[in-house]
Amino acid sequence: MNHPEIWIMAAAAIFGISVYALIVRTHLLRQLLALKVMGNAAFLVLVVGAGTVNGLLDGIPKALVLTGIVIAISAIGFALAVLVRLAEVTGSVDLDEDPSDQEPARDTNDPRDGDGHAG
Amino acid sequence: MSLIIDLVLAAGLVVLAWQTLISRDLFRGLVMFVVFGLTLAMSWARLGSADLAMAEAAIGTGVTGAMLMLAYWRLRRNVPAAAEEREPGRPLLAATVGVLSALVVAAIGLASLEVLGPGGMAGHALYEALPETGVGNPITGVLIIFRNLDTLLEVAVLLAAFVGARAAIGEDSAALPLPPAQDAPLVGALVSVLVPLGLLVALYLFKAGSQDPGGAFQAGAMLAALAVVLTLAGRVRQTPQTGLWTGFALIVGTVVFTVIGVGMMALGAPLLAIPGMWAVYLIEAAMMISIGITLALLFAGSAGLGLRGRR
Repeated sequence: MNHPEIWIMAAAAIFGISVYALIVRTHLLRQLLALKVMGNAAFLVLVVGAGTVNGLLDGIPKALVLTGIVIAISAIGFALAVLVRLAEVTGSVDLDEDPSDQEPARDTNDPRDGDGHAG
Repeated sequence: MSLIIDLVLAAGLVVLAWQTLISRDLFRGLVMFVVFGLTLAMSWARLGSADLAMAEAAIGTGVTGAMLMLAYWRLRRNVPAAAEEREPGRPLLAATVGVLSALVVAAIGLASLEVLGPGGMAGHALYEALPETGVGNPITGVLIIFRNLDTLLEVAVLLAAFVGARAAIGEDSAALPLPPAQDAPLVGALVSVLVPLGLLVALYLFKAGSQDPGGAFQAGAMLAALAVVLTLAGRVRQTPQTGLWTGFALIVGTVVFTVIGVGMMALGAPLLAIPGMWAVYLIEAAMMISIGITLALLFAGSAGLGLRGRR
């Protein structure tokens, strides 16, 4: 690995994009994607930043990241189950639920509003 | 030349992350996520870590991508309105926060490149202690021998995620059924080739894991991928109850690991001391089975899987 700086800079950019997406995107599925991508950026920094031992990347952060990948899929599997259930119960998985923000006309007349929150 | 490959992969990762998170269509984002993950797997290979490349491709991208797409499909079918996504705003504040956090990560990463100490770090200790254990793959050595409490708890977390997902879904949920399997003529042929081949790859990864890249996690993910294929092809159906064998497979990893770890303590050794290579293989085999079945059930969202047509 001759150019670790390249990977650090790429990981930093990916992390920044994920933080930005986590703020501006309101759909929970997209936020889950943002968290997962952000985690991948952290993995890159962890492994590349640890440097090399005998010319190879250090084995300990690699093992930690392998653990992290499995923990990440556990969290995502659980989060997706909650997300689908949430959609069934409330009718929406968008955090930005206030319709007056962008579509004031739907505020009182849309029957879906009443149904959606009753279930 | 090598610099160009690094640059292309790293730049590709950044562009694909942007496409994954900012692209308009949610489904397009999911597809881009899979492409991002596979590019990341190639980057790990480029960085010289075949273990991470396989884990990322199989677990972080393959099974995760299948789970994400199935969840999206369930949203589309059960609650179509919930699959719609609002157009994102472009607040300046969010962009500022994003840029600042990127700068923090860059500072941490670049600083960590500078502070590389002399010898005596854990990484050096790992390579010095590894030959005594008989394990040739340093990552398997860390996972099963040197930091095995992490690994034990990791398998426990996977089990907890499955129990939590079951509790969230509930038995009456309309979320359960999968897309109906269509008896397309090619599916049967594909399954009959893919499944034995995948089984062979999983067993090889398990066997190779102690000396070469591979191990319980990659092999378990391969088994889970086979279960995903069989489920989607309609060869395996979801069952509302966890059968005896399924329950056994779910906990065998945690149980075997714990029994060996605590049993060694009874013999006077420290907690979770690994007595020898036979124990490494035994623990890896048990974990492979548990990881495979847990990931498969997390994907299917059901309590169990059974052969089609048998009740």
